[in-house]
Amino acid sequence: MSAMTAPILETRRLTVRFGGLVALDGVDVAVGPGETLGVIGPNGSGKTTFFNALTGLYTPAAGEIVFGGRRVTGLEAHAIARLGIARTFQASRLCLALSVFDNILIGMHARRTTGLADSVVRRWRFRREMGAALERAAHLLALFSRELPGRGFEPVGQLPQIDRRRVEICRALAAGPTLLLLDEPSAGMNPEETAELMRDLQIVRAEMPGLSVIIIEHDMFVIEGVSGRVVAFNYGRKIAEGSFAAVAAHEEVRQAYLGTERARA
Amino acid sequence: MIAVWLSELVVFALVVAGILAERPAALAATGGALVAAAALLRFAPPLRTALAAGFARHRAAALAGGAVLALALPLALRASPYWTFVATLALLYVTIGQGLNLQIGTAGVINLAGAAFAGLGGYSVGLLTLSAGWPAWLALLMAPWIAVTVGAVLFVPILKTRGHYLALVTIAFGFIFNILMNNLEFTGGPQGLKNIPTLRLFGWAFTSKPALAGVELPAHANFYYAALLVAGLTTWALRRLHDSWLGLALNTLRDDEIAARCCGVSLTRGKLLAFSIGNLCIGLGGALYAVMVGFVSPPDFDFGYSLVMLSVVIIGGVDSIPGVVLGACLLLPLPERFRFLHEYRLLLYGAVIVVMLLYRPRGLWPAAVRRYR
Repeated sequence: MSAMTAPILETRRLTVRFGGLVALDGVDVAVGPGETLGVIGPNGSGKTTFFNALTGLYTPAAGEIVFGGRRVTGLEAHAIARLGIARTFQASRLCLALSVFDNILIGMHARRTTGLADSVVRRWRFRREMGAALERAAHLLALFSRELPGRGFEPVGQLPQIDRRRVEICRALAAGPTLLLLDEPSAGMNPEETAELMRDLQIVRAEMPGLSVIIIEHDMFVIEGVSGRVVAFNYGRKIAEGSFAAVAAHEEVRQAYLGTERARA
Repeated sequence: MIAVWLSELVVFALVVAGILAERPAALAATGGALVAAAALLRFAPPLRTALAAGFARHRAAALAGGAVLALALPLALRASPYWTFVATLALLYVTIGQGLNLQIGTAGVINLAGAAFAGLGGYSVGLLTLSAGWPAWLALLMAPWIAVTVGAVLFVPILKTRGHYLALVTIAFGFIFNILMNNLEFTGGPQGLKNIPTLRLFGWAFTSKPALAGVELPAHANFYYAALLVAGLTTWALRRLHDSWLGLALNTLRDDEIAARCCGVSLTRGKLLAFSIGNLCIGLGGALYAVMVGFVSPPDFDFGYSLVMLSVVIIGGVDSIPGVVLGACLLLPLPERFRFLHEYRLLLYGAVIVVMLLYRPRGLWPAAVRRYR
């Protein structure tokens, strides 16, 4: 990490245990404002556990998470989300029966200013806010595709896979986060779709230069293409950190992915 | 617009004729006409789309027409106090069904103790008027909040559990409520609470017979109009809540809890809010019932009635506001026509629910996409 301004997110000796299993073992990671950090590692190395700990779905057994200068360790998931951490999931977690707009609008839940009384009796206030929210949702969709905003009131289950992934990214962006966590966005995509995804991520980068991103990926082309710095996990520990080239050449990383000399022999 | 009103009028006339027809031949004729009308809609898609478009275009006119007909119903039923009572009961079930639908349909909080929460409202009215000497209208305003409070206190610890656990606990709660009411001294035991004073508003006692346009109506018409007002207000308010941030957050919690939490939705707050608002409506329905019949006893609020409330939601349309209205209006009066089946007509509920779940799992009037109007 270059000498930079105060990191937006910093974990110190972050540890997550499930009974006797140490899923995350004393991980130190820092992300600066506007930086994109890639996270790689073999299956079961603790990458998604890391995200789940950051977003409050898992409670760390030890260590701490500092976000925006605030200690957020042990806060509930919704409280952390409100502070400005948004995420996507490896397996899509959209509500398929709800409309495309609904799936994005829920991302703006924490930013709403109208309450129950506004929804029922002072409906004009709610309508004004919702009108702006719908416009914002359409604007986010338009970043990725020209036809998606027109399909806003269709159930999201009717969209193809790549568009669902886009809706999920829109939902995360709708929250207006300062840190975006992308959990293997290219999972289950063919090479053409992955190329489209790369383009989408570059659009996000260009539109929101101040946004910090952590991206978990198995596809090394995606990692190389979008992230400035890379950390590698294995068995819940951070084993390498640096530029993509440096991490890819790192001895322990090569062993984690390819096995040791002895194992191959 | 005329077509919309005309179709509403036809349905109204057929329904009233169906209710009032005494002779088997007349009953068969109106029943046949209703079935024919339904089949015509079912198998003539152009007609269906034209009507749907008409209703969508003249929404205000359609609602106004429906309101006029609902106001006129006691006039049409004036010869029969019993059917006026049944119609009132259907309206109470609209209120209760809207509350239950917010819990089960919108938030996925499976509450199988609807009758117990209605009973909390009913018994509260009885105790507040008989033991504490409150006037009926004040007890009526207070009682739903008792249902809300009891629900919130008892269920906060388990609202976080998912699906079946909560459903099981609510079943247990329903039975505990019934056993308690049967055995507690101050609730009158199996005899229940008798002689609950009737509602009196601005000097008007709800037991006196009202006159509308020079026509005298049965005393139950008082409660019909009160229940109509309450059902209308509840439906209006819950329609707006459903089409708002709350409805969206509850739907997301129901479909994917983790996604909702990661979007900043508080699980406890959301489910507690849905549970409480729902119980408010259910308790209000039960309280109005107690004031109307002037008597509450344990069998009025047993598990069977929880199932009737549940079927109103399932048959009408899960998470669908107009569906609940349709479900209550079909499910309460219709079995009354099958009284000759005696106890077996309860089997009808079971059969109808099974058929619905098999062939129309989203209900007769499925929930539409939220448009935030």
